[in-house]
Amino acid sequence: MSALFLPVMILLTGFLLPFIGGAGSHASYERVHGLVSFWLVKLVLFAVIAFSLFHCAHRIRHILMDVGLREAAGVLSVICYGAALVGAGIAASFLIGL
Amino acid sequence: MTEKTIELQVYRYQPENGETDTGFQSFEVPYHEHWVVLDALNWVKDEVDGTLSFRWSCRMGVCGSCGMMVDGDAKLTCNAFLKDYYPGPIRVEPLSYFPVERDLIIDFNGFMSRLKSIKPWIIRDEEKPLEEGEYLQSPAQLAFFKQYTMCINCMLCYSACPVVGTEENFLGPAAIALAQRYNLDSRDQGGEQREDLLGDDEGGWGCTFVGECSRVCPKDVDPAGAIQRAKVSSMLNWYKRLIMPRGER
Amino acid sequence: MNLRYKTPLRPSWFMDKPGFRLFMLREATSLFMAGYLIFLLVWLRRLGQGPEAYATFLESLRHPVPILLHLVALAASLYHSITWFNLTPKIMPMYLGEDRLPDKLAAVAMGFGPWIVLSGIILWGVLR
Repeated sequence: MSALFLPVMILLTGFLLPFIGGAGSHASYERVHGLVSFWLVKLVLFAVIAFSLFHCAHRIRHILMDVGLREAAGVLSVICYGAALVGAGIAASFLIGL
Repeated sequence: MTEKTIELQVYRYQPENGETDTGFQSFEVPYHEHWVVLDALNWVKDEVDGTLSFRWSCRMGVCGSCGMMVDGDAKLTCNAFLKDYYPGPIRVEPLSYFPVERDLIIDFNGFMSRLKSIKPWIIRDEEKPLEEGEYLQSPAQLAFFKQYTMCINCMLCYSACPVVGTEENFLGPAAIALAQRYNLDSRDQGGEQREDLLGDDEGGWGCTFVGECSRVCPKDVDPAGAIQRAKVSSMLNWYKRLIMPRGER
Repeated sequence: MNLRYKTPLRPSWFMDKPGFRLFMLREATSLFMAGYLIFLLVWLRRLGQGPEAYATFLESLRHPVPILLHLVALAASLYHSITWFNLTPKIMPMYLGEDRLPDKLAAVAMGFGPWIVLSGIILWGVLR
């Protein structure tokens, strides 16, 4: 998921939208907001964010275990996956509130 | 004209001399274009120090006996050409992450017991009686697992794997690849029996797909690929058991 | 028989060999991607807070530091995607009937292909 979607999204939010996104342009607030508000886009965005967060949490947990924190595997699970869960929840609330 | 030479720095450990760690000994060996590190070691043993101990046999990359660390990388010394290391010096050490018995000889009992633990034989629910003839297998069915039959048990993959280095009880690349060799064999029905070991944190799931094992494998067995495929089947197995706890095999 | 026991790897084991360093680099991309995801949450929030909030936010992005951070995130996510798609055929080999597809081909079919197409569609959808 993250491999498929993230690069293009970084391109958009970091480079394209800020620089060509003025009012009245292709990527004006109305257009972007309208696009993201569409239920399918909301769903896809949520999936991308949630799955990416869990994927990152999983890897970060393994990195921490690899550099010596192997004993703390259980605690790391709670911290990493917990954080991912919280993040997904926040994403959901922001998406719904659009 | 003076002969070209190259320096070998060889790890020495001779417990019968009451030493705990001799460290490295330097040998200046003749340099020949076509020589491999094994040739150099044999020259040392013949001409300089007969007490130097190391394993070797076929000298052509099929027996798996001569594995050692050459400049920190796990290699078959019969496959490590001096010309690739010239002008040297070349550091030769016993295979990493194994206890050392003497000089370049390691204790590989742990490796052997791991291989045995995954039941490396065809397991059938019911044996076919002899009268019914042999098990038939198409070329395609053979091709499905053939890559994993190529392992020569040289243990280079164990010396390349950081998980082997950090986890006492990790099954390791060769053992899991061997398990896959049987799991993917159409004649075998023992997948479930191996699953306990493979689906464990000390089995397939201990692997973090660093990939060094496949890089050093002299026979292109690709144990890393075998392990990832084992993880996928282990995961699918888990879901199947969740949905059909008493269901079909 | 006295055995010299193997020394366990230090916690900095991943620096010892080029293969290990590349591995850790690949895994560390997840840190930068996590950072970007947090940014994305902020982006979503600003979008939901109305045109002024969004415009001010966009303005703050037109500066060197955010651009640099995005560049780092982009590099990390590109490295992640490329290594990921190259590894996928090893994890789930593609079979056409009885023949296993060569890994490079499978990587394009299962990974790089869909990635380019999907990215193109998204860019077109947003920017047209």
